Amino acid sequence: MATVARQTFPTTLSVAALLVAGFLCLPLAYVSYLALSAGPSVWSRLWETRIPELLSNTVSLALSVSAGTLLLGVSLAWLVVRYEFFGRRVWEWALVLPLAMPTYVLAYVYTYVLSVGGPVEQAWKLWWGSEGRVFSPYSFAGATLVMTLDTFPFVYLLSRAALMNFNVSFQEVARACGASRLSTFLRVTLPLIRPAIVAGLSLVILYAVSDFGAVSLLRYQTLTYAVYQQITGRYDHAAASVLSLLLVFLALLFLLAERWFRQRSRFYQTTGRYRAPARKSCGPLGIVLITAYFALVLGAAFGMPALLLMQWSIAAVTEGAVDARFLGFVWNSALLSGLAATIAVLIGTPLAYLASRWPSRLNLLSLQAAYAGYALPGPVGALALLVLFSHLAPFWYGTVVVLIIAYIVHFLPAGLQTLEPALQQVTPNLEEAARSLGLGTLRALRQVTLPLVRGGFIAAWVLMFLQSMKELPATLLLRPVGFDTLAVRVWLEASEEYYQLAAPSALLIVIMTLPALLLLVSKDWRAA
Amino acid sequence: MMPTAQHERNDQVEADRSSDTRARPTVLELRHVTCAYEAGRPAITDISFSVREGEILCLLGPSGCGKTTTLRVVAGFEPVISGEVHLEGKLVSSPGLLIPTEQRRTGMVFQEYALFPHLRVVDNIAFGLQHLPQNQRAAHVCTMLELIGLTGLERRYPHELSGGQQQRVALARALVQKPVILLLDEPFSNLDPDMTGKMRQDLHDLLTRTNTTAILVTHDHDEAFAMADRVAVLNNGCLEQFDTPEAIYHTPSTPFVADFVGQADFIPGVVENGKVLTEIGEFPNQVGYQGGAKVVVMIRPDDVHIVPAENCTARILARQFRGSENLYTIGLPSGHVVHSSEASTSVYPIGTPVELQVIATHIVLFEQETVSRANT
Repeated sequence: MATVARQTFPTTLSVAALLVAGFLCLPLAYVSYLALSAGPSVWSRLWETRIPELLSNTVSLALSVSAGTLLLGVSLAWLVVRYEFFGRRVWEWALVLPLAMPTYVLAYVYTYVLSVGGPVEQAWKLWWGSEGRVFSPYSFAGATLVMTLDTFPFVYLLSRAALMNFNVSFQEVARACGASRLSTFLRVTLPLIRPAIVAGLSLVILYAVSDFGAVSLLRYQTLTYAVYQQITGRYDHAAASVLSLLLVFLALLFLLAERWFRQRSRFYQTTGRYRAPARKSCGPLGIVLITAYFALVLGAAFGMPALLLMQWSIAAVTEGAVDARFLGFVWNSALLSGLAATIAVLIGTPLAYLASRWPSRLNLLSLQAAYAGYALPGPVGALALLVLFSHLAPFWYGTVVVLIIAYIVHFLPAGLQTLEPALQQVTPNLEEAARSLGLGTLRALRQVTLPLVRGGFIAAWVLMFLQSMKELPATLLLRPVGFDTLAVRVWLEASEEYYQLAAPSALLIVIMTLPALLLLVSKDWRAA
Repeated sequence: MMPTAQHERNDQVEADRSSDTRARPTVLELRHVTCAYEAGRPAITDISFSVREGEILCLLGPSGCGKTTTLRVVAGFEPVISGEVHLEGKLVSSPGLLIPTEQRRTGMVFQEYALFPHLRVVDNIAFGLQHLPQNQRAAHVCTMLELIGLTGLERRYPHELSGGQQQRVALARALVQKPVILLLDEPFSNLDPDMTGKMRQDLHDLLTRTNTTAILVTHDHDEAFAMADRVAVLNNGCLEQFDTPEAIYHTPSTPFVADFVGQADFIPGVVENGKVLTEIGEFPNQVGYQGGAKVVVMIRPDDVHIVPAENCTARILARQFRGSENLYTIGLPSGHVVHSSEASTSVYPIGTPVELQVIATHIVLFEQETVSRANT
């Protein structure tokens, strides 16, 4: 009775999936509940004191970072796609490297670089002889600089893909209609790649709005940082949840914008015949200018910070900083992230499988609900779990269990995005074909299904492992006493301006992220 | 909709369209044009031809022969490395000179139409009319929509149109600017084969009605013959022949042209006593080759008639039924083959010995060397 089996099997599973999804939604729901039950006095007090400043700080950071990444990302993508110059292929790849730098690592490097008496100031004196103060890293400008350098690859990657998929016939036909170069760019090229740019910008804004690492180290007051301060400094959970709700609302706004524009950019894809744009070759002056520009951007975003980290790490190692304690931090990080990633894959697989194989309303709802964690910036999710567990399960409070749950809630959406397409490749026909060729159910699973989805599983696991390892705010808030991870060490040492002590942990994080980053990007590369 | 001066002129010109186009002024002239994408490997070499006002010219050739490159040179997308391009008597391309496309007033219809996906049909058509005030723009678009028969679809987006409709919008977008010359790159290749016949007719009518000078690129000789006033056959970047469709078909100037524009057989022969002797008979020595010269006779299937006869050495090797005709492949004793087009109802079994009756007036002679060179 194959049909009966087919119907009953997923129903049980569906209910289980719904329960899991509901559990994943719980933090978001609970924060909303806390905020809405906070009482008008809390709201009005916050509205009169903190909210205007925090909101304007957060929004202006988001705006300035998007302006910066727009300028950098689109111009770099344009040069890389439309021009031929020495070393283009290397630059094309290298420009994604900044994504391997967590914001708190870049921020901590820049607190040194831009510090009073730091290298930039000394260089200024050397060149101009005068006393020079560029700007303090502990400012709006500092936060903008760090966040821009860290996130421009999002815009770069998406606009590069859009420009490469751009059919030149559109440009040529515009020229044949009498439009000048500039007018063609403004009226044809830009509108056609706009969805991709906006999708990239939405990602950047989501990042900027929910970032904790950089703003906390640069002491720039945004909503995320304020939520953290309310929890740790004032123990005011009501106020924290009100600010959280605002933050979630902002994040959700940009998340939806990103999704919407990404779909539109798919709609704009050219169909049928397509001619790739010819690259213009550059003269010697052009090569020098382009190389200088690329070197400046990449040097500031990755090269110089990486060199400094290495230099500091060497100094720290010779001073004996890499000891048993340090190895303990590495173990803590690996253990936590490994557990979180493994459990997340186990939870995510049935969700994605059900939604792709039996796309009933219930199953799709479960899948969508699992994405709720996306809209939860680190401190917000931590707040929810903190309050939830201290009320409902106080014996688990302050153990790694809470921390692992926080990771799963936060990073499962990213994993699901990788799992979903992998599972979609497996059509019932394939399994049925295997069965018709005489393979048993188990052998069909092992010889057909598993090899097909293995890549997706590994990618999802690696992605969630790395995200968990880099995670900072939830770890800071929820870790058991004395249980430090690499990310926490970087932040703690950097807050005290122990640049050298923070370096080995930071470098290790960057190095571990690199191969996975290249792997993920190369997949994107082929798709584009 | 208001009749513009242009349209009044069009109506008048239309009246005497059938009259001799040779009296018309030249719109486009290419003089010894060479163009290369990579140094040392020219895509087209020493191309010269001219197009007169109101004329439809077809660039015909196999893929990679340089026909699209020629079109792109005229449009101003590609620079020339030698030679000159004159448009309306003005020099627009020469080595070191490239008047930008937007100043040439050439209309262009791409193979995939390249309709802007973010603009509605109206805005696509009005794209090149930015210099006009709003009401004039609307009037022009309205006229165009009526002309191409798409009134009512102006608010649609390109992806909501069928392939044929997209093509007509692309045409309208190019025509609405009253281009000096309209360039069409394989306009029918993206359409269903059963639609192309009607679309060809429609396009021809539209171009004639608007008195548009046009260059059309195609690899299909039927299309070229149906559309063109004159045809330029290209091969390996060189112009093989530039003439009317009839002349191209009946008196091809090279074996390549003969073979490319239709079924052709090449039978070797020798000139003797002012006649060409071959194994299928004697032919007049039209070109006046010297006695003893080795030549090749080109024959088309429609000029070969077969009659079954017992004592003949030629035999039927194969028959291909084509609906309106039977195409027979005849083997000769020497191993050469000729083809014969017979009536749909004349069916002979394979292996039948046949006698060949060749209409000698339609044959074309080539030197044997040129044929063997073309074949290697």
